[in-house]
Amino acid sequence: MELAVQLIVFGTLMGLVFAFISLGLSLIFGVMNIVNFAHGEFLMVGMYVALLTSTYLPLDPLVSLPFAGAVGFLLGVLSYRFLIQYILRGPMVAQLFGTFGLMLFLRYLVMFIFGPDVRSLSHGLIVGKSVSLGYVTIDVSKIVGAVLCLILFAVVYWMINKTRLGRALRATSLDPEAARYMGIDTEKMNALAWGIGGATVGIAGGLLAHFYYITPTIGMVFIMIAFATVALGGFGSISGAFLAGLIIGLIQVVGGQYLSELKFTFIYLTYFLAVVFRPRGLFGW
Amino acid sequence: MRRMMVIVLVSLALVFTFTCTAWAKEIKIGVILPLSGSLAPTGKSLKEGADLAADIINGKYPDINISIAQWEGIPSLGGAKIKLVYADHRADPGWGADQAKRLIKDEKVSGLFGCYNSAVTKTVSVEAERAGIPFVNPDSTSPALTKRGLTWFWRVTPHETWFTADLFNFLDGLSQGKARGVRAVPKDEIDTLAVAAENTEWGAASLKEIEGFAAKHGYKIVESFKYPHKAADLSSEARRMIASKADCYLFAPYVADAILFIRTLKEMRAAPKLIWGQDSGFIESDFSKTLGAAVNGILTRDLFSAELGKVKPAAAKINTMYKERTGYDFSGSSARDFIGIQVWAHALNSAGSTDPEAIRKALNELYIGPEQLIMPWKGVRFGSPFPGDTQQNELGSGVINQYQGWPDGKLHVVYPFEFSTADLIYPFPGWK
Repeated sequence: MELAVQLIVFGTLMGLVFAFISLGLSLIFGVMNIVNFAHGEFLMVGMYVALLTSTYLPLDPLVSLPFAGAVGFLLGVLSYRFLIQYILRGPMVAQLFGTFGLMLFLRYLVMFIFGPDVRSLSHGLIVGKSVSLGYVTIDVSKIVGAVLCLILFAVVYWMINKTRLGRALRATSLDPEAARYMGIDTEKMNALAWGIGGATVGIAGGLLAHFYYITPTIGMVFIMIAFATVALGGFGSISGAFLAGLIIGLIQVVGGQYLSELKFTFIYLTYFLAVVFRPRGLFGW
Repeated sequence: MRRMMVIVLVSLALVFTFTCTAWAKEIKIGVILPLSGSLAPTGKSLKEGADLAADIINGKYPDINISIAQWEGIPSLGGAKIKLVYADHRADPGWGADQAKRLIKDEKVSGLFGCYNSAVTKTVSVEAERAGIPFVNPDSTSPALTKRGLTWFWRVTPHETWFTADLFNFLDGLSQGKARGVRAVPKDEIDTLAVAAENTEWGAASLKEIEGFAAKHGYKIVESFKYPHKAADLSSEARRMIASKADCYLFAPYVADAILFIRTLKEMRAAPKLIWGQDSGFIESDFSKTLGAAVNGILTRDLFSAELGKVKPAAAKINTMYKERTGYDFSGSSARDFIGIQVWAHALNSAGSTDPEAIRKALNELYIGPEQLIMPWKGVRFGSPFPGDTQQNELGSGVINQYQGWPDGKLHVVYPFEFSTADLIYPFPGWK
């Protein structure tokens, strides 16, 4: 019983973190059908924003989250304006290598500026705090992360499905040409999708910095899990990314309990089975 | 006439000076290190250690109380100076072997030295064997290197098997009351172990070594597993260690996972009696910088500590010289390269010749006492300390350091017990 409770709690909390990280990736793919290999680096930039604002400004790292979101939004929009909109005119392979190049550029730019050192947040309202709840002791920042993840998913879901802007984004995603005929500025919608994608992963990065180490190569650790999450949930599906994040969180925790060296194998096996038996993912179009 | 006499005398003096200089010739040693690529910072510090040793041998330092500091060259070779001829192996075994050939054929070196990366040491040692040239290896730790029966290869550093043996000797000593500042701890208080090793060749080998020594020394492994390198989350692995109720947690991770493990254990308020890390991630500066006070009480195997100067005055003086040149203390690696050049000097002095056969004989019969070394070793003597080893220094040892008083504290030596620089903090104080 104790074991089951612990695994479910740990798995759910990490699953929500994975879902949070994958949200922007799913959104960008959903609107533009483009895989952003630099998504992990957007996450890394969000972590560095949290580190820098809490180090150089008299602010709690929690307060840095809006900054991380703003920088992520800007990074997404600039990436679209100065790179993506040009490579979209090329073949699919150019799109793949374009975002791959962006990934390397951001990673090594940050490494050049800050060096390859591993860093972490040293202070903060919720940094290093944990609480005991029954059988489990949990990091407070993971609880805050889970709550924030739920709020952001709800906001993005509401925006996509219930607002005029969301309808415009969906229209751009379904048929860009028809959307243009209807007066929708699809270029703006694309940039907005990249901006929102960047903002959500920037906030996720700012939050992750509360309980994770920070290094220029940290994107590599999370990007493969984010791809598996988005593919399992269905490319472009917000609710799919949420559910898949939870599933993957639970799989990796249960795998770590019984066969740790194979826990990522279990994740990718689940993804593989989903691709074989349900290629569009759990909630894909 | 008088003028003529002065000219003749000056000329004779000059001829005499030049003759003596020519007699005190140089002895070239080929040093092959990783001087470019990702290991360049390490290669640089290894070179700095070797250069300092060569300078001390070639100069005179009366205030340093070890023999090479008084020599001004190799005494039995008329004060011949040691010249280190460097080559960069780029962490490439094939390139390293090519460099060895070049140094032997073109530079006519009397012997070889290096190469840090075990894979490069392997190929270079084969070239040395073919050419019949002595190769002294100060810094490669793969146990297999001295198990090949080579006759022109000598290893000065302890290898990986040793470091795990040190851990169990430390645990045995702890229960025998040998640890400084700690009463004898009943063995049943520390006899259960939980081991987490990353799923790489090094991690798997470490885990196997720990399992072997645990069985031999009578310790029970109640939990052990390999986990994926650079994991995104280690909460279930940390949970397993806590649930095992093991007395001692042992780790073999690189730095990122080491940080994540300790953070997760702290978050879960784990309370083992001891935490020990197999070097690597646990001694990198990022580990202590990132975790700050959370590292207090954690043990890590290492090879050197600047604190050793408290118990070995020569180590303090030489480390100060090294720090003045480089801006930082000796590391376990650079200190080993210092000793490696020292071994070369003693071997040449005993051989009294640069003939390879004479050097081989000298190396096989060599003994350097502990008072001559900056490391906490019992000396240097080549033999067979573990089954299958040949021409391996059998008097070396690692050290076990403990983080004390961080974030402004120091890494103190707590093993070997006779070189302890502070009282051991036992049990692990936990995280408040």
